[in-house]
Amino acid sequence: MSNNRPTILIYTLNVDDYLMVEEMCAGIEEEGLLYEVKRHYFGVLEELSYNAANESILGCGIGVEGGRALMSLRNMDKGEYVFSLENPSLSQCRKLGANAARAVKRVAFHDLSD
Amino acid sequence: MKLIAGVDIGNSTTEVCIGSIQDDGSLRFLSSSCSVTTGTKGTLTNVEGIITALKEAVGQIDKRIEDLSLIRINEATPVIGDTAMETITETIITESSMIGHNPNTPAGAGQAVGLTLNIHNLDDYSRTGKIKSNNDYILVVDKEYPYSKIAKIINKYSSNYKIVGLILQADEAVLVENRLDKKIPIVDEVRGVDRIPEGKLAAIEVAYPGETIRMLSNPYGLATLLNLNPDETRAVTPIAKSLIGKRSAVVIKTPYENVKENVLPAGEIYIESLEGKNYKVTIDTGAEKIMEIVSQVDSIKDIHGQECTNVGNMFSRIKKGMAEVSDEDEIIRISDILAVDTLAPVPIAGAISGETGMEKAVGIAAMVRTKMLPMERIARALRERLRIYVQVAGVEAVMASIGALTTPGTRLPLAILDLGGGSTDAALIDSDGQVRSIHKAGAGEMVTMLIQTELGLSSRATADEIKKYPLAKVESLYHMRLENGAMKFFEEPIDPRLFGQVVLLHPEGLVKIDEEDISLEKIVSVRREAKKKVFVTNAIRALTEIAPDHNLRNIPNVVLVGGSALDFEVPEMLMDELSNYKVVCGRGNIRRQEGPRNAVATGLVMSYVGEG
Repeated sequence: MSNNRPTILIYTLNVDDYLMVEEMCAGIEEEGLLYEVKRHYFGVLEELSYNAANESILGCGIGVEGGRALMSLRNMDKGEYVFSLENPSLSQCRKLGANAARAVKRVAFHDLSD
Repeated sequence: MKLIAGVDIGNSTTEVCIGSIQDDGSLRFLSSSCSVTTGTKGTLTNVEGIITALKEAVGQIDKRIEDLSLIRINEATPVIGDTAMETITETIITESSMIGHNPNTPAGAGQAVGLTLNIHNLDDYSRTGKIKSNNDYILVVDKEYPYSKIAKIINKYSSNYKIVGLILQADEAVLVENRLDKKIPIVDEVRGVDRIPEGKLAAIEVAYPGETIRMLSNPYGLATLLNLNPDETRAVTPIAKSLIGKRSAVVIKTPYENVKENVLPAGEIYIESLEGKNYKVTIDTGAEKIMEIVSQVDSIKDIHGQECTNVGNMFSRIKKGMAEVSDEDEIIRISDILAVDTLAPVPIAGAISGETGMEKAVGIAAMVRTKMLPMERIARALRERLRIYVQVAGVEAVMASIGALTTPGTRLPLAILDLGGGSTDAALIDSDGQVRSIHKAGAGEMVTMLIQTELGLSSRATADEIKKYPLAKVESLYHMRLENGAMKFFEEPIDPRLFGQVVLLHPEGLVKIDEEDISLEKIVSVRREAKKKVFVTNAIRALTEIAPDHNLRNIPNVVLVGGSALDFEVPEMLMDELSNYKVVCGRGNIRRQEGPRNAVATGLVMSYVGEG
């Protein structure tokens, strides 16, 4: 899969996670970056974030599945991540999106705890 | 063979040196150790620390404390130091409010003026006709409103009313702006929106990318936007000043009935000499002038400040603090001060989110001579505990000089500069073995205070760490840039909490500085300036006083000893400065191996041989 726009990729499996994804998108937008959400039909969470990070032109991706989210950067091994959330609040999702953008901008991260 | 121990009780560490006297009278150094001083220097609680250090030192040579035939402890320098800081003028602005800050992601660059209006009241007011269509409004929104709803409301009302600007509590400026039909300046991340009065004229400004605000940080810009008369313009100048360098700001005009400017007089410093002469100097002439006057006085009897002024309060605070430490009944007399120009953050009255402005200030380190510290008492306690002969021997400065002579490459006459915490001490041994010594106010603690105030740090401990360790900026999860420009890479990704942060290179790992928005460059420059202002000034002051004919060029060697000589940049600064006088200066290396530590303990052992 190739992609020429400088976007942060969010890969998800389940439509039930759309509220989380929406907040992540808002977090990225507030930081002034572009994002793209792609729905996949199979795979595990570690693969989603690994592929998202490696296929993103910006080298930054988020995988979302079953109420869990991982943020990874390109060149990290599969299963490695920068942040991991499990059943997060919406504000944590917003901050995760902002942190994905901040990883690209090289700005200090938000504290993800509520 | 006889084993003897030299013990130096310092403010922060207790150092031990063990030497053996051979049967032919020659001396061999066997081991040394260093442990934390227990309790305040000069009190009986020191005994525990001494025993710990002794045990460690004798342990290194497979001996026991009982094998020692003599312990010599130093006669500590009878000075205590303290520091204080006071702004020169204090300006209180009332009844006018401002917000100035650097949100990470502001939106809609530009400026706007309008009446403040809370979004909660928008529906009501528009129904009752309270909102006039010919007025400009700035909408104040708390974080309960999501960005999509805010944008919808504004888009709906902007056809009928003029909404020219937006103040948001949440971090959503870009999100709202992207959904607006008509772009307006938006200031976000304003925590105290509930404290913004309604129906008041307000000006908001968001800087263009890469710039800082221009109108609100300019008194005439404020006058233009808020229609101020010359008197009001004068009164808002401190607000404009405090907004310099910000990326976004809000200034709200409130009635001016109660505006009062309260300027506390800066005050004068009075110096009394032993000969009974009196000198005075006004504090707002600056530190340089104060130090010039101080240097004119041969021997200072006491220093105090004018009553009911900032400086008067500062001196009485210092004296009160010292009276508590010294636990003596004698009158506290200040025998030396070091004044340094600095900047201190002053809270601005009317600031909505606790903004501060930097005001000119003077930092002062003062030193008090006390009676001899009761070392005899410690010696007696130690004697009873260990059943070994304990002796109080020799003045600290003399012992340090003797110890410093073991540094390779030195010869007489030799000066030592003991860079401590509370005072900077200097001693000179001339070719006949005569020692002259002097103590000057201001050392490591003063540097910490200057770093803390100039960077506006909330904790003294953070300032102390900034003083001690170099900095780096973590630029990615795999590398950081050190303050000297070099890069360091990691194999494993580092803790994400450090990403993008300025960190200290602590020996135990990277330490984040828990204060927002201070750049690495700023910290480095404040830190270096503080060290220069204190240590370089004091080195010159102290050495000039003890130098033959008061000429620095008459001292061939200066050896730096003491805790602050371990600093990673102070010795280089002093070396640089003293090389102008053709003085050989460097960090000591006691007994070729100890570095700048252990000079006094070594001197205590060596002087025994001399006496014997």
